[in-house]
Amino acid sequence: MATTTLAPRAGTFSRSWVLDWLTTVDHKKIGILYIVNSFLFFFAAGILALVIRSELAVPGLQFVDEATYNQAFTMHGTIMIFLFVVPVLSGFANYIVPLMLGAPDMAFPRINALSFWLLPLGGLLIFSGYFFGGAAAEGWTMYTPLSNARYAQGVGTDLWLIGLTLVGTASILGAVNFIATIFKMRAPGMTLMRMPIFVWTVLVTATLILLATPVLTAGLIALFIDRNYGGAFFDPATGGNPILWQHIFWFFGHPEVYIVILPAMGVVSEILPVFSRKPLFGYRAFVLATVGIGLLSFSVWAHHMFTTGEVFLLFFAFMTALIGVPTGVKMFNWMATLWRGSLEFTTPMLFALGFITMFLIGGISGVMLASPPVDFHLQDTYFVVAHLHYVFFGGSVFGVFAATYFWFPKMTGRRLNEGLGKVHFWIHFIGFNLAFFPMHPLGTSGMPRRVADYAPEPIWVFWNLVSTVGAFMIAISVLPFLVNVVATLINGERVGDDPWEANTLEWATTSPPPPYNFDKLPPIRSERPVFDLRHKHDAEHLAAEPVVVREEPA
Amino acid sequence: MRPSPGRSAWLAASRGGPLIAMMALLVGCGMIPPEPETETAESVFTLYNIVFAMGVAVFVGVEAFILYAVVRYRRRDDRLPDQLHGNTVVEIIWTAIPTVIVLILFVAAAVTLGRVEERVDDPGLTIEVTGFQWQWQFHYLDDDGDDRNDHTVVGNPASPPTMVVPVGEPVRVELTSSDVVHSFFVPHFLIKRDMFPPGTEGADNQLEFTITEPGTYSGQCAEFCGDLHARMTFSVEAMERAAFDEWLAAAKAGETPAPSGQAGGPTLEIAADQIAFDTRELTAPADQGFQIHFVNLEGVIHNVSIYGSGNEQIFIGEPITGPDAEITYQIPALPPGEYTFICDYHPVADMTGTLTVE
Amino acid sequence: MTVDAPTRWSAEMGPSAAEIARREAGMPTPLVGMLLFIASEVMFFGGLFAAYFNARAAAAGEHWGPPPPAHELEMLPIALPLTLVLVASSFTMQFGVWAIRRGNQRAMRNWTAITLLLGVIFLAGQLYDYSILGFGINSGVFGTVFYTLTGFHGAHVFGGAVGLTILLARAMQGQFSARNHVAVEAISIYWHFVDVVWIALFTTLYILK
Repeated sequence: MATTTLAPRAGTFSRSWVLDWLTTVDHKKIGILYIVNSFLFFFAAGILALVIRSELAVPGLQFVDEATYNQAFTMHGTIMIFLFVVPVLSGFANYIVPLMLGAPDMAFPRINALSFWLLPLGGLLIFSGYFFGGAAAEGWTMYTPLSNARYAQGVGTDLWLIGLTLVGTASILGAVNFIATIFKMRAPGMTLMRMPIFVWTVLVTATLILLATPVLTAGLIALFIDRNYGGAFFDPATGGNPILWQHIFWFFGHPEVYIVILPAMGVVSEILPVFSRKPLFGYRAFVLATVGIGLLSFSVWAHHMFTTGEVFLLFFAFMTALIGVPTGVKMFNWMATLWRGSLEFTTPMLFALGFITMFLIGGISGVMLASPPVDFHLQDTYFVVAHLHYVFFGGSVFGVFAATYFWFPKMTGRRLNEGLGKVHFWIHFIGFNLAFFPMHPLGTSGMPRRVADYAPEPIWVFWNLVSTVGAFMIAISVLPFLVNVVATLINGERVGDDPWEANTLEWATTSPPPPYNFDKLPPIRSERPVFDLRHKHDAEHLAAEPVVVREEPA
Repeated sequence: MRPSPGRSAWLAASRGGPLIAMMALLVGCGMIPPEPETETAESVFTLYNIVFAMGVAVFVGVEAFILYAVVRYRRRDDRLPDQLHGNTVVEIIWTAIPTVIVLILFVAAAVTLGRVEERVDDPGLTIEVTGFQWQWQFHYLDDDGDDRNDHTVVGNPASPPTMVVPVGEPVRVELTSSDVVHSFFVPHFLIKRDMFPPGTEGADNQLEFTITEPGTYSGQCAEFCGDLHARMTFSVEAMERAAFDEWLAAAKAGETPAPSGQAGGPTLEIAADQIAFDTRELTAPADQGFQIHFVNLEGVIHNVSIYGSGNEQIFIGEPITGPDAEITYQIPALPPGEYTFICDYHPVADMTGTLTVE
Repeated sequence: MTVDAPTRWSAEMGPSAAEIARREAGMPTPLVGMLLFIASEVMFFGGLFAAYFNARAAAAGEHWGPPPPAHELEMLPIALPLTLVLVASSFTMQFGVWAIRRGNQRAMRNWTAITLLLGVIFLAGQLYDYSILGFGINSGVFGTVFYTLTGFHGAHVFGGAVGLTILLARAMQGQFSARNHVAVEAISIYWHFVDVVWIALFTTLYILK
């Protein structure tokens, strides 16, 4: 099928081309805007990470002073979480979910555009603190009273609060859109239990955003009132309670962890079956596990607060331990999907396998931290930094790159170069482990997080240097990726509509898809309609499935 | 000839095995917490090792399977493998496995938690520990209920304090903060606890530890608390009871009140608020004693000290804590030149200034 | 390796009659969106209520109820009448919805105008109440919680009033009918939600003080 006349002509930067992207309400273009915008913030926050690691390479203060350092790690965490990992996954969901459902667009295309454009606005507000006397410097957790007007006098903190409120509003609107799309826009035959796992993870993620983010918004506004209008929410001197902030922040913050990891799990659950040529093992169990993680995520927040001495340790320890069960089930499902498969190690498959191995480490260190007495030792040390990077980076970011390599042919019609992709993967993988594994022994030996300087103990000096080397390796690994993207866009291999022999509906249309996505839809009788179509004649597994959609036209 | 799939997997495993074992050993050494030096630290240490061993077992099992699958099931031809959708029995079993593991870990945690949180009725020594931006104050409580004759140690970032305690008996630390949240952390004790400002609902945290071996153990604030968080260090020195009593008596005896005689010379005015001095420039006459009248407007500890151009100590002012506290420092005669005055507790730009003596 | 998209399809683009019926049988998509949005609003006010109950729990050691100056709040002469106004506006809103479901454009227009008027009266009364209260947002934790809760509720009433104004303008142009009035339904759900939040606020702030 020809791409339609509405498609932009490549290479012509005419006014209408720019205007088209600025005013688009097409979910695919908005998805790409999300992804590009997120990667820009990723590079900015990555540079901040290099500042942090350079300062910590050896003991003493060499490159920056404490104030600059504190701004750097605050901005690094904030940007990476709120403006890279969450929105980039939203971007992929924006592009892919309607296609996977066989829908022409999202339920509310104009709200979709609004929720995208709030993001760069909020992000720039957060960043703009650098131009108004210093960015926020209280850590991405913004604990009170350190963030009260008394101790954080700069306007950077206020800009942080306003910007984050906008970003939060954007993601709430996006969540409304995703849920409405998934419930109202599915193609005939696409029952809930035939939805691709990625759609399921987006559904649960959107529900978590919908219910958790407004609580953060309330907290941000309350802190803003405290700082600017003499409010007393979090000020103990006037009857407020600083621990309330921690409760509010983590009531949002823990679901946020799953907001970040679940869509990445969904990506991996799409990629493993394709390159194993098998269905995902235990689809139903996987759906249940995803929903289970979503439900449990609202009852574990205070495990971030074990050392405050103010929370019911055993309850939160128990719920946190329980959340290991559905996560373990997922791990087993992925392993069983590989079992007796026919594995092809393309770049997206390598990143998906990288996700499994790295996320496993993050999961295990998470179970260790769930034990209150162990947490008393490890909390607020580099062990926590290691844990969260194995989850966010080893998990989500590996998932993001897997998704990029996997869906790039769908978005552009061209496949990223596999050779460069593998170079990217291996430098990235080795660099990641060099950068973050050493943080485990640093943490167990008692090095606190968020320090600009540390005592010159031999073990700290050694592991910090290794970690810094790893951080620069990660930075270097981005180069082959960027070269790959640019070279492929200019002169990449054209690979047709379904280069991976994939399973789900997005591969049943052209690459890139036309406006409104589909001219025709295949029958949807399982969670792998395109697989069914490809193997129509040798697929006995379909015999048992009743056909509930319209009949084929003659 | 390509070896049979099974054999090649074994080959890869036997080649990689020793390497993996060595790496595990290397990494494992760093993964064990510091030597536990208190009774509760020993039980946390044991628990940590159980949890860690289980984690390693899970990690090795899963990674070994993935490596095996990667080698064994890599694509060799274009055949479609069996389309296996699931298996209820297997899935129930592997839901049960993590459930059992986490339940075992939970019970172990609960048992250890009971030991860690145990408190005796009458500890051998109670110390009020106050964290402030950015140092510590240790206030040794005695039984007479009179605060004025108690021994108090206040540290500053340049010279962190030492908490001297006896070994072999429970020591209780009562933890509060005078400003933001801090956290009391001694790695060798394998425990930390957050410290909240007064007025925080229910935040009267305390820890209790019985140190087993004499020695010096370093500690540090673990909760990010602002600019000089990294310099909020201290150490704990544990000694036998007799030596401790001797030390305490000597420390109390050595605490003579600061001389407050009214000597001549002009008086310079300076005040501190919001972690800042109200002036960054002071001028004093050369070769004659003078006074600095220092007002501390906030409930945060400050002092005024004077250092020479080579950073040598010239005068260390007694610290005061407001709001609205004041003190008059008597400064000896100084030769002409430029000096630096600074708050030892907040050596930041806003609390550093130039004293010109001419 | 490379294959093109499968070329044989089962159905042409565009929903069949049965499909259209299936979609229309459920709730209209804008209403689904509104309900989801309201779910997030519930959590937002939940966060602020948590702050209120936290302050109350902190003060519980000294006396029953929230910290001072909560006792200064009086139901009369302002708060209770305003509550009645807002509750009444929910009824008038619903009468408007019922009217348009029957296709009565004129009645719907009138009821919407009355609802808008009641909403404006509520807002004006609220502002007047603020002006005569003896405490401000900076007088301790209760003042902060009180003004934040009622202020954000007021902002929501204002947002609802804007929505009602748009509804009224569209109704003037005869844009709604018995079959096509999903915007009326959506705004009415929102308006009822704002009313329910006020009842919760009134109960906690004025009755359980």
